[in-house]
Amino acid sequence: MPPSPLIAPELVRRMAEVVGEGNCISEAAQLLVYECDGLTHGRTRPALVVLPGSTDEVARVVRLAAAAGVPIVPRGAGTGLSGGARPTPGSVVVGLSRMKRILDVDLENGTVRVEPGVINLDVSKAVASGGFYYAPDPSSQGVCTIGGNVAENSGGAHCLKYGFTVNHVLAARVVLDGGEVVDLGGPALDPPGYDLLAVLVGGEGMLGIVTEVTLRLLRKPEATRTFFATFPSTDEAGAAVSGIIAAGILPAAIEMMDRLAIRAAVAATGLDWPDVGAALLMDADGSTAEAEHVSRRAVEIARTSGALEIRIPRDETERQLMWRGRKCAFAAMGRISPNYMVEDGVIPRSEISRILRDIGRLADAAGLRVANVFHAGDGNLHPLVLYDARVPGEEERAAQVGREILRLCVRYGGSITGEHGVGAEKAEAMGDMFNEDDLETMARVRWAFDPRARFNPGKVFPTPRLCGEKPGPHVPHPLELSGQAERW
Amino acid sequence: MVAGAREGTPSDAVLGIVPRLVLEPASVEEAAEALRACARDRLAVAFVGGGTELELGRPPSRLDAVVRTGRLARVVEHNPSDQIAVVEAGVTVAELQRQLGAHGQRLALDPPLPERATVGGVLAANAWGPLRQRHGAGRDLVVGMTFVRADGTVAKGGGKVVKNVAGFDVPRLLVGSLGTLAMIGTVTFRLHPLPGAEATVLLPGLDVPAARAMLAAIRSSHLEPAAAAAILEGGHLRLGVRFEGFGPGVTEQRQRLLAVAERLGREAEPLEVGAASAFWARHDIIRSEGSVRFKITAPPAALAELVSAGASPLAGALRGGAAVLYPALGAAFASGAAADPAAVARAVEAARAALASLGGGVVVAAAPAELRALLDPWGPPPPGVAVMRRMKDQLDPDHRLAPGRFVGGI
Repeated sequence: MPPSPLIAPELVRRMAEVVGEGNCISEAAQLLVYECDGLTHGRTRPALVVLPGSTDEVARVVRLAAAAGVPIVPRGAGTGLSGGARPTPGSVVVGLSRMKRILDVDLENGTVRVEPGVINLDVSKAVASGGFYYAPDPSSQGVCTIGGNVAENSGGAHCLKYGFTVNHVLAARVVLDGGEVVDLGGPALDPPGYDLLAVLVGGEGMLGIVTEVTLRLLRKPEATRTFFATFPSTDEAGAAVSGIIAAGILPAAIEMMDRLAIRAAVAATGLDWPDVGAALLMDADGSTAEAEHVSRRAVEIARTSGALEIRIPRDETERQLMWRGRKCAFAAMGRISPNYMVEDGVIPRSEISRILRDIGRLADAAGLRVANVFHAGDGNLHPLVLYDARVPGEEERAAQVGREILRLCVRYGGSITGEHGVGAEKAEAMGDMFNEDDLETMARVRWAFDPRARFNPGKVFPTPRLCGEKPGPHVPHPLELSGQAERW
Repeated sequence: MVAGAREGTPSDAVLGIVPRLVLEPASVEEAAEALRACARDRLAVAFVGGGTELELGRPPSRLDAVVRTGRLARVVEHNPSDQIAVVEAGVTVAELQRQLGAHGQRLALDPPLPERATVGGVLAANAWGPLRQRHGAGRDLVVGMTFVRADGTVAKGGGKVVKNVAGFDVPRLLVGSLGTLAMIGTVTFRLHPLPGAEATVLLPGLDVPAARAMLAAIRSSHLEPAAAAAILEGGHLRLGVRFEGFGPGVTEQRQRLLAVAERLGREAEPLEVGAASAFWARHDIIRSEGSVRFKITAPPAALAELVSAGASPLAGALRGGAAVLYPALGAAFASGAAADPAAVARAVEAARAALASLGGGVVVAAAPAELRALLDPWGPPPPGVAVMRRMKDQLDPDHRLAPGRFVGGI
């Protein structure tokens, strides 16, 4: 098969010299895999995919691409749901999947240093025997990589209590746009200087390529207490969540599902969950006395809020089964609908009931169904818009409902994304949440890292209204103009 | 002259430099107007809150105007059910805690001198206290921010919800930037419930090996202190461990710590409320008093080096020197007075040399001019300094926001 016509054969040859023939992919058929990430309805074929095996190879690849003026799109496992790893036309995709070594485990300091291609769950597995784990737990944690987690500042069901990726990254080695390698953060807290990690994490692959990450580990809690509660509708379930939080409880996780989501989970797993309007699944953890006290209190609150039934798992197997019901909810949609779109928005927790009713109205008006699965403790909604792609116009209507839901989130004072990132998918929606000055400030932060916008162009910033792709004018310092100082 | 400005006086000085003008905006809009005026006149500006961390950094190379945030003193919004508060930069930490406390909530951030320290200043200086162990530092509690750029542009980042990954986290970047990138206008914080119960256990007379053994036992016994601080006294550590939460959990944790101490043959004393307050008050004094203050860091496992190469010699080099350590965080603060500036400077350089290989260091948080002249308060520039300079160029292109005060002369 002929190589992709989008790239100079000379560049392909030189890239192959760096990463090895087998790790330099330019044939059209092989490039197919890299056309999209977990968001499959937008596809662009890259010009080239390279799979470097070391920081040095990444740096050389970046230098070659930079010299050729070719955009660079970093990629982890490709499980992202916002099109963050979708190639830009004519780009070189830098896949980090070969860099999957766990470099150093330091249990005394509670840290681990890994390459970006390491799978999220493998970090926890590597340190489990020492009683530690890595806290951020995106639903895809069995396949997604730490590099991708860093780019997207991934969360998960348990980030309500334990924080997101940004709260757990202590240091990173980064390849910048000119191929220079720089270490940010460090093993001790508060290294002097700007907190560049604060923006690198969640930088959506637009600031540099991370080639090593030092992560903070947590001790596994002594005890976890879980319960599952059913409710007549999401109103009572929402009231229970508000009551639990108002009682000063910080659950390790508190997840809500509505009727459709429960039905899908039941269809997919065979769980004996009843056909009810809503359900909550809550974890309390900590010391045994704390976890038990908190769980008992939360169960009381659920009851007084109108719970129909409370189930407490008899053992860890039963607990895992309950969580499987929740975690498979996205995939389970296939059981009740030919197609679905996953949304990811955030609302103030106290508005849960109101916004769910609004979403219901939007869906009714579009003649579609929306299932809701979400992290109720932090108001992170995952509405799943169900549709049938075979029915003309239905996909577009579903997408429209998704966009309207995000607008609702912003109107209620929330966010267009709680954990999936902006990527390509939500770049336009950024304009609903941020004005031009806000976006221009973010663009300037980007230019400080990547003045020529080489990394992952076309993401996050709405186009073409804002010049997110164009570096700002360089303004020389007065000392430079007066010859008193060089650029410093 | 910028409208609304008054003349600067010695009490307005930043690191010894008296500004010509002082501006005291009463709203973010007024602050923006003030900064636009300063931009027009190409004035170099510094921001001042309660002044509790004002001695951090180098004296600015140029300073024409000071913008004081004292009149930005409103708690704009407190939504207890969503556990967030929107607060203007000039609100003091203590005032905020009073207002939140009335609703059973708090900002889980306990920097020194809360009656004076403002939220804007605390974030700009990245000030923190013992609760960092459980709740993180200020940057971990900020969910959104409105800020004013050097040219007077008002912009925001983040939002009003705890979970949000829309766009780059500019607010988090501004935390610790010491007013060299933008002025913090309003901050949206994530709040926590006030703990229903708390208890402090005191473990006195620990040498470093004993302290290490105790800390390891605490970790492996599923003890989860909200805070732990050790006061260095006569070469020994007096470790205070505080638990917070619901009554049953706190009781269980306290009893378990006492059992752990007994197993290790160590004295442990559950403190009554008064004694606990006295311990933490002593801690507060070390953190906030003294004309010289150092922040010393090393990875948590390097407690021996943190004490022997950092806290101990630096406290020893100061007149009336004392030190407090946060072993779980890998940080210490030493404070006192500089009797012999040259000797103190040598002690700092020696500590830096010893801690550098571990990834730690010493930052001078306060010092009189004669000591300051002998030291770079930040230590050697970090590896990312080139990107940091470019960040400054992008957000403050004319280098008018406290120029030269920050790391690497930024």
